[in-house]
Amino acid sequence: MTPNPPPFTLTVETHASWCVVRVAGDLDYETCDELVDTVVARLTGCSDLDGPPSDLRLNFAELHSVDSMGLSALLMIRRRTDRAGVRLHLDERPGVLERLLDMTGTLGYLTAPCRHAAGHERPGTG
Amino acid sequence: MDTTNQSPAGPRGVLVDASWGTAPCPVVVADSTGRVVELNTAARFVFPDAVPGARLGEVAPGWFAEAHRRTAAPGAVLPVVPARTTCGTVGDRTFEAHPSVAADGDVVWWFVDHTDRRLAEEALAGERRRAAVLAGAFSALLSSLNVERCMEVTARMAAEHLAEAAVVVAPGRGRAHSLTYCGPDGEVVHRMVQADVELMPGLGEALRGFPPVPSRWIDPAAVPDWAVPPDLTGPVGSVVVTPLPGHGVPAGALVLLRSGATTAFTDDEEVFARLFAARAGAAISAARMYAEQAAVTTTLMRELLPPQLHSVNGVDFAGAYRASGQSERVGGDFYDVHPAADEGQESLVVLGDVCGKGLEAAVLTGKIRNTLQALLPLADDHQRLLGLLNGSLINSHHTRFATLALASVSRRGSAVRLRVTSAGHQPPLIVRADGLVEKAATRGSLVGVFEDITSTTAVVELAPGETCLFFTDGITEARGGPLGDEMFGLARLEATFAECAGMPAEAIVEHIQMLATQWLGGGSHDDMAVVAVSAPHHAHLSAVDGHTRGRYTA
Repeated sequence: MTPNPPPFTLTVETHASWCVVRVAGDLDYETCDELVDTVVARLTGCSDLDGPPSDLRLNFAELHSVDSMGLSALLMIRRRTDRAGVRLHLDERPGVLERLLDMTGTLGYLTAPCRHAAGHERPGTG
Repeated sequence: MDTTNQSPAGPRGVLVDASWGTAPCPVVVADSTGRVVELNTAARFVFPDAVPGARLGEVAPGWFAEAHRRTAAPGAVLPVVPARTTCGTVGDRTFEAHPSVAADGDVVWWFVDHTDRRLAEEALAGERRRAAVLAGAFSALLSSLNVERCMEVTARMAAEHLAEAAVVVAPGRGRAHSLTYCGPDGEVVHRMVQADVELMPGLGEALRGFPPVPSRWIDPAAVPDWAVPPDLTGPVGSVVVTPLPGHGVPAGALVLLRSGATTAFTDDEEVFARLFAARAGAAISAARMYAEQAAVTTTLMRELLPPQLHSVNGVDFAGAYRASGQSERVGGDFYDVHPAADEGQESLVVLGDVCGKGLEAAVLTGKIRNTLQALLPLADDHQRLLGLLNGSLINSHHTRFATLALASVSRRGSAVRLRVTSAGHQPPLIVRADGLVEKAATRGSLVGVFEDITSTTAVVELAPGETCLFFTDGITEARGGPLGDEMFGLARLEATFAECAGMPAEAIVEHIQMLATQWLGGGSHDDMAVVAVSAPHHAHLSAVDGHTRGRYTA
């Protein structure tokens, strides 16, 4: 039996002041860099003359699986959005992502309101 | 006289006036008795002694006289078939001699100088032979990534095709040089030689050879004994030293030798030797680089491979590890047991998972294991230990992290006590004697990303026959099963573990790894690591000698 996981895709919707990135498929070792690069391109405004959005929404409704490199990518994205003063939202988290964030103590950090100053990164409370 | 219808073998006496008299190709007419009848101007340059009436055997080369005798035997009738063309040398030129026989038995020989064509044909044949040698050398050298084998092939092919004997000199460490000899008999000998390469003219430069130095003519008398293959008969006659150019650094030098009896090396041969050396050098250099890489990888692997676990101070430890890639024996999962000095103290068990894979993950794994080893004196306080480890891993450039499960394990009577802390890792499972599976009540944040981390520590008591199991997500997230894309999952692991109640630690580890592997089928997987800590059945304290308080034996 040959399992056919859904292919990894990123769909970007840009609105007036916010941006949605829909993540589908496996967020893992092979695909995590693509997500970080896509998000960083939005934050640095190089693809948008209006500058960075005020809110960045990552939508995980179609996420199939996530591994430790995927989590590492989310931590990097949060570091970059904090630095850019952009609010990060992790929407429609499936159980596999929720459990990973909970177990690793990163849920609180990744879903906390934006810290505009590039202060110390605090751990999530789980 | 109308010369257009003049036969080449026309009537005697008028031939010299015939049109061929001034032809650019030499023409000789000889009669059936082997005497010259007439010859043209071009022929006089080739056969300066030939005059009409002279015997061919005395004024022309033997091959021509013999060809004439066969073509125009006395009394021979007109041949039915055209007479045969013959080839031969006159001085340093070669000619084709085309005969035409006249009715009176005279033979007119037309000479065509084909020296240049012959030389070109010989050169072409030589180039073809060299190209074949190079192609052969290329495939022979490419088939091996072993340095010694490449040096052997180089020495053997050089001795066979370039010279009588050859020596391949590898760049040395200090004065010691590895030499590969091949003599005329094709026997290859390796030898380490303590020698000053500067004593051999041209060898020092060739070994430094970047930028490559041209081959040099060497005085045979100046060649030291160690540079001569033992089976080269007779004194050295001629020598060429050629660098073996490697990838940026010289791969060594090639010494070609011929004994006194044979001819010296020509310019062409020296150029060919350089071509051959370029290919051999590239192959030897590639093999050497591969060997160095393999040595580095082996060294790293030896340091990073998970240890063999066994019983320590009356507590059973067992571990199993399976790296994700077939080619990678080391990945992102690891475990260690740091045994206590004596049974009253705690041993530290660590099982962890570094994000990522391959060499980067292996290097981070090594860093974490070394740091933890150094922090062992502080292992009483898991939070402090993790805090110090976390601080050593934080990096502003990346968010690579590790999750860990720690346990300080000590024997308390027949029971085993564990203080267990999870740093963002799956909490360990405990199987009780009755098959009930519990989860250790510990949680905490991963290490390597946040400035401050928190964690809680749980205390677990194991009665004899009970086991605490540490595992990485490679087990629970193994994808496979009947549908092909289902995760093994925590529930399935718990059910499997429940069946292991009362089993020894080693058997539990093997059983779980086997089931996870079966679940995978042939599918790809992440690293998988499992460690079991068990309180053995029937352990009793036995005094071993008069100095220690005794040991537990299972």
